[in-house]
Amino acid sequence: MNRKFFWMALAALVLPILVRLIWLFPGFTFPRTIAIPDYANLKMPVAPITTPQVEAIKQQGGIVLVDYAHSNQFLPNEIQTLTDALNQRGAQVDFDSDSTTLASRLKSASAYVVISPSTAFTSEEISLVQDFVGRGGRLSVFTDATRGQIFYDFQGNPVGNTPDVNAANPLVEPFGITFNADYLYNLVENEGNFRNVYFQSFGKSDLTWGLSKVALYGTHSVETDTGLALLVGGDKTLSSATDATPGTDPKKGWAAAVLSKDGNVFAAGDFTFLMPPYNTVGDNSALINNIADFLLSSQRKVILSDFPYIFNGTTVDVLPTSKVQMSAEITGSLSKLQTSLASTNIDLKVVKDAPISGNVIVLGTFSPSDDLTKFVEPFNLKLDDLSEFVEIPQFGKLGRSGNGLLLLNRSEQVTTLVLLADTQDDVTTLLDTLSSGDLTGCLLQEDVGVCSIGFGGSFSVGGTSTPSLGGSMTPEATPIQKETPVTATPGG
Amino acid sequence: MKKLELTGDEVRRILLWVIPALIVGILLSLLIPKPVVGVIRLNDAIYASTAKDLISQITYARDNPDIRAVALILDSPGGTVVDTEAVYMELARLRQTKPVVTWVSGMAASGAFYLASGTDYIVAVPSSEVGNVGVIGYLPPSPIVLEDTISTGPYKLWGSPRDTSLREIEMIKQGFFQAVTLGRGSRLKIGPEVLLRGQIWPAGEALRLGLIDQLGSETEAFDKAAALAHLWHYQAVDLYSPAIYTPYPSALGFFLQTKDGLKLPYPSEPGTYMLYIPTLPIQQK
Repeated sequence: MNRKFFWMALAALVLPILVRLIWLFPGFTFPRTIAIPDYANLKMPVAPITTPQVEAIKQQGGIVLVDYAHSNQFLPNEIQTLTDALNQRGAQVDFDSDSTTLASRLKSASAYVVISPSTAFTSEEISLVQDFVGRGGRLSVFTDATRGQIFYDFQGNPVGNTPDVNAANPLVEPFGITFNADYLYNLVENEGNFRNVYFQSFGKSDLTWGLSKVALYGTHSVETDTGLALLVGGDKTLSSATDATPGTDPKKGWAAAVLSKDGNVFAAGDFTFLMPPYNTVGDNSALINNIADFLLSSQRKVILSDFPYIFNGTTVDVLPTSKVQMSAEITGSLSKLQTSLASTNIDLKVVKDAPISGNVIVLGTFSPSDDLTKFVEPFNLKLDDLSEFVEIPQFGKLGRSGNGLLLLNRSEQVTTLVLLADTQDDVTTLLDTLSSGDLTGCLLQEDVGVCSIGFGGSFSVGGTSTPSLGGSMTPEATPIQKETPVTATPGG
Repeated sequence: MKKLELTGDEVRRILLWVIPALIVGILLSLLIPKPVVGVIRLNDAIYASTAKDLISQITYARDNPDIRAVALILDSPGGTVVDTEAVYMELARLRQTKPVVTWVSGMAASGAFYLASGTDYIVAVPSSEVGNVGVIGYLPPSPIVLEDTISTGPYKLWGSPRDTSLREIEMIKQGFFQAVTLGRGSRLKIGPEVLLRGQIWPAGEALRLGLIDQLGSETEAFDKAAALAHLWHYQAVDLYSPAIYTPYPSALGFFLQTKDGLKLPYPSEPGTYMLYIPTLPIQQK
């Protein structure tokens, strides 16, 4: 009997425990394997190796003017690779930090480079650059998505951002080019970071010659309606502005560099690729060399307003024709001209015969002579001692007295500048005007210019050079004061 | 059928045997612990101090047999890479024996989402924010030589070349991406092109993209953790108090503070972060 009660008691003891065990059944757990990233085998992305440059560097010379007058967001050492490439090609790189001198400095330049400007170009500057490019000068504008100006509040919080494209666009828009205020990125295939974008599709141009893979580092996209897209991203390259490829066609890629229709304006949305170590990635160094070649292959037409930067080389011969004597006044004026040209590293040399190559300044009068004929022939100039006028197609009839004529003829071999005036004294005055280096007082039409040199003849005073466009510039109304050439005496 | 008939004495004897045994049995059954869903909360950035607390709680959960599952409650913008990875790896060890469910109470961005992706199931409040997959970093200055400071190598002072730092960040991003793809598996409905944009999504959108599993409440997250551990009945226990024996406040806050006490969303020290920095009022002019 007690046995039965024992089992009942045992059941009463165990039952609550069982019930609670079942109630709180914790289940069965089996250790499982949890996969985690393979940290040990994660590797840093490596930049592609630079393609060796095999092309010989051609000495091209020239002056490249780099804008530094618009609060440009770069340091000169950041574009050292480009300046080195230009120097290797015999070019001189000048930085222009005074916008008021742009007009005069563009005279000597074969190319103008603008990098990440912050302040706007004036309409006058834009006009100057347009004129420069219109005559074949090369313009290269670089912006950079990482170089905008960020404004902070008093607590240091960034409150505003002005991208450099705002200042750059007015300069390139006349050439059908627009920088977008964005940056390009590629999450799939990139050079170490999503904002470092590869470009493997290229527009056909000397600028893209020999390129197969270029990497840009935080680039704006650049658009052109009329020009040529040079560096074009793939369908995975997106703009931060839209998170998409341009337009509706996903195969149409964003461009990061373009060339204007006339081939004279190169615009790139990045310049970080110019800096070490990025300049050696992929074909970036080849691109830098191509840009250097582009800047120095300017076919800019040199005109009289570019004086004194109209000559090639370092020597200019001075050839007085038979109607001009090497008087003291002439010699004095020539020495002034020599001083003036020295600033451009040009020496003057008086010669008796016309050189077959190089530069020559021909001094003559409106009186025809055999040794002058070949120099004025290309200009269809009609010189006649019996006439009170000189006839030239660009100006019509020009009064001989008080006017000086500048004729520029550039051939492959020789650059010839012909100075003509009515008398020897007038030639002297014309030389003085030329020595001043400022022909803004003259009426210039590309290769032909007319300078007022006072009243002409005996009224002209040697050494004064205050050209004015007075009444004498009206050819028909020019007072006639015909004189025979006078040989001035020293001190006279 | 034989009718069970007990005499008064028999009844008395049964009660005498059974009642004490039943009482003892009930008392003994009460010694059986109720399974615990451990609750670990993170309401701050992930940095040395918070990571230490998290790891202490994770270790406690792993070592305590009563804790059968863990609910990770997140409201964090992320934090430093090393601390995030340290916590993530401890979570992975915990998950080998116990399921972990995340409940996003406000934000699981960047490093916090790194942790969430390393759990078995993610529940989020509908308006919470999730994602921001990626890494941010500050490049070291270009190395220079200082007149009065002598070092034994070009990068002794600067750590590494700037370009190397940039590529390191990309490598860390690969780890982050692997963590998300491993953790979410086939539930993830977006590829790297979308995920690695670094976008932060509201939980509803994150659900559609496969970044989370469910919209729901904290208790639903607890229930899910219990379910994954095959628990019918459980109690949720906050693990901070039992796991952190000597709590101490961080001497230096994670976020940068202005002199007048305003807390900025930037870290107070330079470094590499899996961190979400909220949108600032930057406008292009």
